[in-house]
Amino acid sequence: MEKLLEILKELEPDVDYDTCENLVDGRYFDSLTILTLISEIEDNFDVEIPTVEIIPENFNSAQKIWNLITKLQEED
Amino acid sequence: MNYFNIIYGFLFLPIVIILYNIMPKKIRPIILLIASYVFYFLISKKLIIFIILSSLSIYLATILMQKMTKEKNESMQNASKEERKIIKEKYKRKKKIILIITIIFNFAFLFYFKYLNFFKHLLQDLFKITGNLKIVKHLAPIGISFYTLQAISYVIDVYNEKIEATPNIGKVFLYLSFFPTIMEGPITRFSDVNDTIYEGNKVTYHNFCFGYQRILWGFFKKYIIADRLNIFVKLTFNNYFNYSGLTVALGIIFYTILLYMEFSGTMDVVIGSSEIFGINIPENFRQPFFSKNISEFWSRWHITLGLWFKNYIFYPVSLSKPVKKITTFVKEKLGSRISSLVMGGISLFVVWFLNGLWHGAGYTFLFFGMYHFFLIITGNILEPLIIKICDKLKINRQNPFYKGFQIFKTTILIFLGELFFRANSIKDAFLMLKRIITHFNLNTFRGEIFTLGLDIKDFLVILIALLIVLIISILKEKGINIRKEISTQNIVIRFALYYALIIGIIVFGAYGPGYAPVDPIYADF
Amino acid sequence: MKNVIKSIIFVIILFFLIEGITYFLIPHQNIKKYGVLKTSLYEILSEEENTIDSLFIGDSLIYSAVSPMEVWHNYGYTMFVEASAAQLINDSYKYLEVGIESQHPQIVFFEANVLYRNPKNKAWYFDLYSKMESSVPILKYHNNWKKVMFKFLNNNDSFKNINVYKGYKYVTKVQSAQIKDYMHVTTKAKKLPAGNEEIFQKMLKLCEKENVELVLVSTPNMRSWNYSKHLGITNLAQKYNIEFIDLNIHNPLNIDWHQETKDMGDHLNHLGAIKVSNFLGQYLQETNLLIDHRGDQKYASWDESYKIYKNNLEEIIG
Repeated sequence: MEKLLEILKELEPDVDYDTCENLVDGRYFDSLTILTLISEIEDNFDVEIPTVEIIPENFNSAQKIWNLITKLQEED
Repeated sequence: MNYFNIIYGFLFLPIVIILYNIMPKKIRPIILLIASYVFYFLISKKLIIFIILSSLSIYLATILMQKMTKEKNESMQNASKEERKIIKEKYKRKKKIILIITIIFNFAFLFYFKYLNFFKHLLQDLFKITGNLKIVKHLAPIGISFYTLQAISYVIDVYNEKIEATPNIGKVFLYLSFFPTIMEGPITRFSDVNDTIYEGNKVTYHNFCFGYQRILWGFFKKYIIADRLNIFVKLTFNNYFNYSGLTVALGIIFYTILLYMEFSGTMDVVIGSSEIFGINIPENFRQPFFSKNISEFWSRWHITLGLWFKNYIFYPVSLSKPVKKITTFVKEKLGSRISSLVMGGISLFVVWFLNGLWHGAGYTFLFFGMYHFFLIITGNILEPLIIKICDKLKINRQNPFYKGFQIFKTTILIFLGELFFRANSIKDAFLMLKRIITHFNLNTFRGEIFTLGLDIKDFLVILIALLIVLIISILKEKGINIRKEISTQNIVIRFALYYALIIGIIVFGAYGPGYAPVDPIYADF
Repeated sequence: MKNVIKSIIFVIILFFLIEGITYFLIPHQNIKKYGVLKTSLYEILSEEENTIDSLFIGDSLIYSAVSPMEVWHNYGYTMFVEASAAQLINDSYKYLEVGIESQHPQIVFFEANVLYRNPKNKAWYFDLYSKMESSVPILKYHNNWKKVMFKFLNNNDSFKNINVYKGYKYVTKVQSAQIKDYMHVTTKAKKLPAGNEEIFQKMLKLCEKENVELVLVSTPNMRSWNYSKHLGITNLAQKYNIEFIDLNIHNPLNIDWHQETKDMGDHLNHLGAIKVSNFLGQYLQETNLLIDHRGDQKYASWDESYKIYKNNLEEIIG
C-alpha cells in the first residue's frame, strides 16, 4: 500500500488519496494516467492487469486499486 | 421515417404504447421486438436480413462461449494449480476462435456496406489505377454502424466473462434492434439494458409524462434551433465563395451548434421513448461545451461511442504484447513518462483513425479523426509545460477566468474540427478558413447577413432558444435535477410549462413554407 | 382515475389555446365571410376577393410546373395555383367551387392527369396529412408569427401578402431523367376510373353557370403521362367541346429532361416551371379576355410579392 501511494503521488500530486473516492469518475485520472499507473503497477507488483479489469470501479480510490492488486496476486 | 417525424412521435409510438400496455407482462417484450422490426422494415425493407444475421451470429456465439465457460469452471473445480492454468489456456483458445470468427463476420457486413467503395477509391488514388475497380453504389442497412458495435461489445463481454450470455434469443434480437436506438444510438452495452429491456414493465402515467416531456424537449432543439440554422449553414458551406469572412465564420459556428442540437435532440427523443417503457438507456451527452480540454470533450460528447473505443480499442491495444514491448524498451531508455506517452500515443492513433472512419468513409472524416488525435496528444505533451508556466506566472489554475479561457479555447478547437467534418472537401475547409481572414469585411457582412434565409426575427428566436438551452445546461452542470424540480411544482406551473413547450414548437418551429421548398412529408412523392 | 381527468383537462385546454393562437395567425382577409377553418384550408381565400383572373387546379405536377409570379411579371395577369399532392378529382371540385365563389376568374386550367387518378387508390399518408393540415391549420400558418408579433415594426401592412408564391412551390434541384420516347403512339385510349367523369361533368356545369372557361392541360411529365392517356383526354375534350392542350406531345416547350426536372422526369423543377408559366401567359394573352394589371394601384401587392419571390429565388440559386 505504501508503495502504491508513492506511485499515485508521483502521478497526480494534487489529489488527497485518503479521501478521494472518484479518481476516475471525477476525472482526476484520464485514460493516459491510468495507462501509466497500470504499467507502474505491473512493474512494481509483478502482476498483469487484464483489460477486463480496467473499469472505473476498480480505479476510483487508492483502496480499490490496492484490492485489485491483491486479488490479482492471489489469482496468480 | 425518422424520430422527428410526426408519424413517429404521434402515431407509431402511441400505437406501440397501447399495444404494449394491453398485453400481459410476458408478451410485452415481444411487442417491442415486433415494433422494432416493423420500424426497421419500414426504413430498410429487405436489408433487414443483415441485422437478423448479425443478431443470430452473436446469439449462437455467446451461447457457445457460455457453454465453454461452464465446462471450464466445472473441470477446474477439482484441478491442481498447474492443471488449472492448462485448462484456462485450452478454453481461452477455443473461445478466442469463436470470438474472432464472429467479429470478422459482423465487421464484414459493415465493411462491405460502408467502406468497400472508399477503399477502392483510396487504392485508385494511391496507385493511380484507373477503371479497374468497379464502384458499386448501394444503400446500407440503417443503423449498421451502431448495431455492429453493440454486437461486438456483447460478444467480447461474454468472452471476457464480464457478463453471462442470455439464453433468451428474443432479448438478443431486441438488444440489437430496439427501435428508439437503432438509427443513431446511443451505443448501449448489454449490461446497460440487461435488467430493463426485456422486463415488460407497464407504462405508468409517470413514465409516460416524463418520456414525452423529454421527447418534446428534443423537438424543441430540433425544430426551433437546428432546422432554422440548417438554412444558413447549407448556404455558407456550399457557396462560401460568395460570402464575407464573418458570414463564413458564423456559418462554421452555426454548424457545430446545429450538430449539437440535432444530435442531442435526437438523443432526447430516443431516451424519452425508452423511458416510457421503463428501459434505461445511457446518456450520450453531458454539457460538452463546458469542457476544459479536448479529451474531456470526448467524455461529454457522444459518450457511448467514446466509451466503446476506450473499452474495446484503447485499452486492449495499449496492453497488447507488441505495444508493451515497445513501451518497455522506451521506458528503459527515456523513463516512464515518455513511455506512457508512446503507449497512449500508439493506441490513441488507432482509436482516432478508426473513430474518423466510423463517422464516415471519406477523407474529411479521416482528417477529422487525425485532427482530434493530434489535439489530444499535444495536450498531453504540453500539460506539464503549461503547469510549469502557470506556476511561474503565478496563475491559479482553479481561477474561474482561467477555466473560462480553457473552455473558450476548447470550443474554438471543436468548431474547427466540425468544420472539417462538414466541409465538402478538405480543400474547401481550408479555403473557408482562408476566406475568413482575406474577406473579413464588416460592411459586406452587414449587407448580407439577413439574406441567407434567416431574418432578424429568426435570429432573435435562435438567440432566445439557445439561452434557454444554456440556462438548463448550467443548472444541470451544477448538479440540479431540473426534471425532478419541475415535477414538484404545482399543477398550474407544470401545465403552463408543457403548453409553452408545445406551442413554442408549433409556432416557432422552422418547418413549412419559407423554410423548406417542399413540405417535409410530401417530399418527392 | 385522477390522472385520466388530469390528462383530459390538459388536452382540452391545449385545444383551446391552439385554436386561439390559430385565429391570430391565419390570414384575416376573408376570415369573416368564410370562417377560420375554411380560410385556412383554401389558400386562395388569403387573396382579396375578385382579384384573380385565372386559376390552375391540379396535383403536385402543377405546383411544380406553374409559377404565377412569372406570369404576372411578364404578362400582368393574376393567376393562382390551387394544387395539392396526389389531388383527387372530388377535391378538385371543391377547390374549383371555392375559387370561383371568391374570385370569379375568367379562365380555369385543369391538369388532365387528375382525371386518371383513382380515388380508391389514395395513399394513406396523403389522406392523413391533409386531414391533419385541415384540422390543425396552425401547422400551415404558424410562420405568420413573424408578421403578427412584429406588426408594430412594419408600418405597411405586409400581412396582406400572405402567399407570395400564389400556390407555386419552387424546387431548384436537378435530377436528370433518362430520355425515352414516353409518348410512343398507340391506338388504344385509356379509360377514366369509374366515377371521375361524373365529377368532371359537375365541374363543367359549375363553370358554365358562372361563365368561366375551362381548359384541360397536360403539363410535361415523363413518368405518368403517355399516348393512350392523351387519346383518352382528347376524346373527352371533344365530347364536351372544350379545349385540351397537351404539352407532352411533340414536346412543344422543348423541355430538357436532363436539366429541367427535379426527380428524373416526374416533376419539373424551377427551370421547367418558367417555360410552362410563360406558355400559359402567352396563351392567356392570345385569348384577349384579360387585362394587363401591371401598374394598376389596386394590384400593387403583386409587385411587392414579385420582389420577395425574386429575392428568395436568388438566395437559393445564388
